[in-house]
Amino acid sequence: MASNRDVLRQIPLPIQLRPGSVFSSYYAGANHEALSVLQNLTGTGPNPVIFLTGISGTGKTHLLQAACVAASDQAQQACYLPLRELHHYGPELLQGTEHMNLVCLDDVSHILHQPDWSRALFNLYREMEEKGGKLLLADAQAPVALTIALPDLASRILAGAILRLQPLDELAQTEALQLHARLRGLILPDDVLNYILRRLPRDMHTLCGFLDDMDIASLSSQRKLTVPFVKQVLLEAGTTA
Amino acid sequence: MSGSLWNRCFHQLEAEMVEQQFNTWVRPLQVVMDGSELRLFAPNRFVAEWVQQNVLPRINDLCARLTDSSSGEQIPTVSLEVGSKPQVQTSEPTAPREAGPAQIPAKSAFSMLGGRLNPEFTFSNFVEGKSNQLARAAAQQVAENPGRAYNPLFIYGGVGLGKTHLMHAVGNTIRSVRPNARIAYVHSERFVGDMVKALQHNTINEFKTAYRSLDALLIDDIQFFAGKDRSQEEFFHTFNALFEAQQQIILTCDRYPKEVDGLEDRLKSRFGWGLTVSVEPPELETSVAILMSKAALTNVNLPDEVAFFIAKRIRSNVRELEGALRRVVANAQFTGRPITLDFTKEALRDLLALQDRLVTVDNIQKTVAEYYKLRVADLLSKRRSRSIARPRQMAMAMAKELTSHSLPEIGDAFGGRDHTTVMHACRVIKDLRETDIRSREDYSNLLRTLTG
Repeated sequence: MASNRDVLRQIPLPIQLRPGSVFSSYYAGANHEALSVLQNLTGTGPNPVIFLTGISGTGKTHLLQAACVAASDQAQQACYLPLRELHHYGPELLQGTEHMNLVCLDDVSHILHQPDWSRALFNLYREMEEKGGKLLLADAQAPVALTIALPDLASRILAGAILRLQPLDELAQTEALQLHARLRGLILPDDVLNYILRRLPRDMHTLCGFLDDMDIASLSSQRKLTVPFVKQVLLEAGTTA
Repeated sequence: MSGSLWNRCFHQLEAEMVEQQFNTWVRPLQVVMDGSELRLFAPNRFVAEWVQQNVLPRINDLCARLTDSSSGEQIPTVSLEVGSKPQVQTSEPTAPREAGPAQIPAKSAFSMLGGRLNPEFTFSNFVEGKSNQLARAAAQQVAENPGRAYNPLFIYGGVGLGKTHLMHAVGNTIRSVRPNARIAYVHSERFVGDMVKALQHNTINEFKTAYRSLDALLIDDIQFFAGKDRSQEEFFHTFNALFEAQQQIILTCDRYPKEVDGLEDRLKSRFGWGLTVSVEPPELETSVAILMSKAALTNVNLPDEVAFFIAKRIRSNVRELEGALRRVVANAQFTGRPITLDFTKEALRDLLALQDRLVTVDNIQKTVAEYYKLRVADLLSKRRSRSIARPRQMAMAMAKELTSHSLPEIGDAFGGRDHTTVMHACRVIKDLRETDIRSREDYSNLLRTLTG
């Protein structure tokens, strides 16, 4: 039946087989300290705020979501709010989150400059402080560089734990990609890896996104990852130089 | 057992859904199995609406499929509401709370008061310096003689300077002498929020009784009352009741009472009936003393040069100063390296590098005020005497020079002045720098301080 692969491609099930953003799928590289702090949030002292910063592709979103999963695994309430997408809901979006053990807010630069958001977050901070909850904030900009509308909130964020994620160096990046490929059940030979690294923007977002594309392409056409195959995927995606 | 069906649904959804959407909309759901009903609670209407529109049918479907009828499970009906799941009744603090034997008649009303005293904030761990001496002495007096010494005690000053610490210290001292004293620490936003809830739930009388029968009321950040007329009205009566009964009231604010816009005059004047004291940013020596004392508390060996380095670089407030120390200590503990000057520079790299680059209007106002021995509040006030107007013009000129804020923004930051006032200030300072040696010196000193 499926003898002619060109005609009949397999359609992959819409189920993610990769383990998703959990701590064990994060390649820490030089970011061991940040990872260890996040794995033990209760050890960060009485200030409920932990601020995660680092350029795009250093894994902020991954770690925020991993922290949520870890909290759930310990029967705690947690949520993840990507504010680049959700800021238009307004500060009401934070309502009810004060009852949670962990609130993770991604891309906070989209809200901190706004007085009503700042005030809502300050209130959430106080509730968290009283109940022992944690507020995990992340943004590419470090808190000192951000405009924070409410000085009361600014000073509390600055006094909290600030974790800077370093981008991976070249060697670490290849190891990270190998880890991500393994987690997807892909075998990524060195020549393929080098081929990709020479042709794609070398940030982890792009690279992991491309791994996803290759994962689907390899499943649907039932082919292993080889340079010619990857070249073809790149050509189809129109991303090759 | 009741959670297990939901657990199965939860994990199935986790596998099916886009991860981010799952973490945003499904993970925060709380669930209660109520007989044959699976009740889902969403923290707010946005989550409820999203779940309703996008996953509720799938949840119903999964519940039907994943119900294990062989072990007697029944397919539940699924409901969705906004709120948090009802607390289990036995979690009411009944058993372990024997300490205060029937001390408070209006216990249920008293329990309405939000916020607790933080036992960490005491007089003994409050580091005194010139900048906070008066406030500390006044607070100590009040603690030893509540309701009699100074009532109300009004502590004002910038963020992170220890106002809340002093307030809690008073409360803790009163409690150590009178363990049954009814003391409430309430942030003013909380007062407003609780009052709104009381109005909604028709419990405003209990709310009033709870506040008016206190022995001491500590209200933090009263600037947040601005513009909230109904809350001010209620607070006015609470204030009067407590004041007449000679119960202690302590208030904190980020500025002098008269300077708070949107606050009723009758409240402003009452706030001035007792003693009004300010806390200022610490001088270098106090900052160093604070760092040394905090380090000693955690058994950390902090070399003098490191303490001076941190204190010099983080000038504006104590909270951030302590935050920087915690960061250095945590880094040292993680890496196992000793705290040296180089290590500290590395640990605080982000904070310091950006401080060098980042000159804010706030920072300029603080620096200029300190330089001319004024309060920031003076710079923002409406007063126009030359001793204040000149430094204010200097600060405005600095703000134009060193920040990228627009002139209207700068005017706004100086007590809501017009941008033409800022332009005028810049012209005056420019002329003065050309004609007056003293002004020229002031300008270059300030510039040096601000830009490192």
